[in-house]
Amino acid sequence: MSSLGALRFHASVSLLGRAALRLDRLRTEHKLARMKSAGPHLGPPLMTSGWLKELISRHYLTGRYVRGVRKVAWVTSGAPVEHLKALGYYLMYPENHGAVCGIRRWGERQCLAAEDAGYSRDLCSYARTDFGTVLSGQTPVGRLPPPDLLVCCNNICQTVLYWYQVLAHHFQVPLVLIDTPFLYTEARPHMLAFVRKQIDAAVEVAERTAGRSLAPARLEEVMRLSHEAIGLWLKIMQTGRNRPAPITAFDEFIHMAPIVEMRGEESTVAYYRALLAELEERTRRGVGALQAERKRLLWDNLPIWYRLRPLSESLAARGVALVASTYTNAWGELVERIDPTRPLDSMAEVYLHPILNRGTGHKLATMARMLKEYQADGVLLHSDRSCKPYSVGQMDQQRRLAGELGAPALLLDADHNDPRAYSEEQAENRLQAFLEVLGA
Amino acid sequence: MPNEIHVPSRREAIRAQVQSGGGLAAVFPYHPPRALLRAHGLLPVEVWGPPGRSSSRGDAHLQPYTCSLVRAGLSFLLEGGLDQARVVLVPHGCDSLQGLGSVLLDFVKPAPPVLTCYLPRGDRALDRAFLADELRELDARLAAALGTRPDEAALLAAVEREERADQALGELLEGRARVGLGEEAFYRLVRSREYLPAEDFAALAGRALAAPAASARPARTPLVVSGLVPEPMALLSVLEAAGATVTGDDLACSGRRRYRPTQGPEPFARMSEGMLSGPPDSTRGASVEARLQHLRQLARAAGARGVVFLTLKFCEPELYYLPQLREGLAQDGVRALSLEVDLAEALPAPLVTRLEAFVETLR
Repeated sequence: MSSLGALRFHASVSLLGRAALRLDRLRTEHKLARMKSAGPHLGPPLMTSGWLKELISRHYLTGRYVRGVRKVAWVTSGAPVEHLKALGYYLMYPENHGAVCGIRRWGERQCLAAEDAGYSRDLCSYARTDFGTVLSGQTPVGRLPPPDLLVCCNNICQTVLYWYQVLAHHFQVPLVLIDTPFLYTEARPHMLAFVRKQIDAAVEVAERTAGRSLAPARLEEVMRLSHEAIGLWLKIMQTGRNRPAPITAFDEFIHMAPIVEMRGEESTVAYYRALLAELEERTRRGVGALQAERKRLLWDNLPIWYRLRPLSESLAARGVALVASTYTNAWGELVERIDPTRPLDSMAEVYLHPILNRGTGHKLATMARMLKEYQADGVLLHSDRSCKPYSVGQMDQQRRLAGELGAPALLLDADHNDPRAYSEEQAENRLQAFLEVLGA
Repeated sequence: MPNEIHVPSRREAIRAQVQSGGGLAAVFPYHPPRALLRAHGLLPVEVWGPPGRSSSRGDAHLQPYTCSLVRAGLSFLLEGGLDQARVVLVPHGCDSLQGLGSVLLDFVKPAPPVLTCYLPRGDRALDRAFLADELRELDARLAAALGTRPDEAALLAAVEREERADQALGELLEGRARVGLGEEAFYRLVRSREYLPAEDFAALAGRALAAPAASARPARTPLVVSGLVPEPMALLSVLEAAGATVTGDDLACSGRRRYRPTQGPEPFARMSEGMLSGPPDSTRGASVEARLQHLRQLARAAGARGVVFLTLKFCEPELYYLPQLREGLAQDGVRALSLEVDLAEALPAPLVTRLEAFVETLR
């Protein structure tokens, strides 16, 4: 690390940046405290939103100045990261950054930059957003640090593997693949052993790149923090079981950022404790995320990032609360598989089992369970052109939900980050018809 | 004469297998464990679509942004096209094939048992060990479904038969210039590896290579073809009429299956080693460097100055690599043309024009 780089990092991030972001948080909290509602039909805003903004801004601010100060790994959202955290890596999640671009309406321009370079419009819009960012050097978060290491785990899709091969070729840095056999049914012992061995190999590469050895005690500590944050995140989502629900899936899509990109950190645990406390307080007071909750729905698949707000308000206007989603649930449901005292074995177990690495029947069973637990009246299935592993199977799932399970379900065609694949009029018409059937 | 070689059709191969009392395995792409299926008395018959048919039955289960290979395959199954199969095998090759396998197992539940098999994306020792274990599991599931239990000698014999056929495929692709067949006829011969018994294919390839060419063919523009499968096959005739010939094959259905022969006493280890020994393949997530190097070698060996990338719409494994491959090839002065096709569609006229124009630029 150069002393100049370290000095710049500490001045910009640890001192000035930290102070400026804290001030901004206080201002935001002050503003939120004076707001009676988050929107015309929404309940009061979550007070912890200011804290969330501070956490995310600090994460990207760190990334802006981290080059040469800490090693940087770009990782897929489902990749094991606890060993990287324990080794002091700064972690960049291109998928999360893609979501930020989507929310801030940068998705289309980044996708276009990738398409201009020859990448097909039929590729995942997160990947295109990332390629567009890499090629243009432009991002709403200022600047992304180039990676020293790429870590790709295909437990969410195979797409990430090709995507990261493109990045490896572009950046000329090592790519570690953690290959997780898809679980059509149950995990077999040889599958677990395969993933476990790859985690050992991944640790070796990470140590070599970092130039230091992994301290077992530090790994256990990171794993404990991950475990605690995931447990808290699950409880946060479960507050949505109350009537009225104090939080909706729209809120969760925003508040899930730390569990994806900052798990294993003390600040994430502290933040989720505060969010849970706020939601429990809301529940005690009977305060809902909507002003008048009449119907409750479950969401399946990634959000439509560039339409979060309008969709949220449109549903709220009809008294429809999205009380849960299979997507956000994926970051909490595996908590019982984590054993911080066996960190590496535990990582193999956990990272083999995300919902996206399991069969279409498992997802249907998960939705059926969540429908009951959250007393939902139906399901909105986002048929996401950019995410085949999540979307393939939805046509059969919809039929089963509506038929055997008696839960009306709507397939909503869109794309999580490319607004060109979304027809507002068509979506609104379909949604309106569905909600009429539902009696909303 | 080579152009008189009769290449049995899929239908004929299936009929012959059924008449001999053998069973059939309907196998989806890309790297099926042929030796294991043969050892269980099944003839693996690959399902690449089939092309040129409506995928409407499959469209009731799979969104239109799923690749046409998978939608057409599911339609074919739902129409009863795979009814003769004793098992349906869906190796895990990409997100679309993953979805197909899962939907078949969980929702469609066809009469023949559906089996899956995960192909590791790396080629490390631990990948080979994993695949050997995966094949042992598949062996057990085949035994449970069929009541067959091939012993080690039978498994090894099947491995060696397939390796001879793999070698014959390699020789056929290498000896392309000696085989006096037109482009489309040559690829019908090559692609009979998808459904003929290994020993029949090896014999057929041997006959094609041994027979003298009918007449010296005029000099043609050499090309490398890359992609999954040369469909619609009429494209090859267009290419021939334009004065080009395929001298380098980087197709998932043929060139990327030039597996290396293996040695050793343990059949599953040999199957695994062989299946992971093929050229760099997008469906197994090979590095861009490895794929580029391979294409450069193919182009150099064949004196080709052009590569045609034949991609299926929505085929992510192929599409991701294209910009960097094209850029790398351009640095060597090798031009590239990308053609996107849908298996259900007939040969589109604009595609023909683009292919003809591309060949012209290479002369």
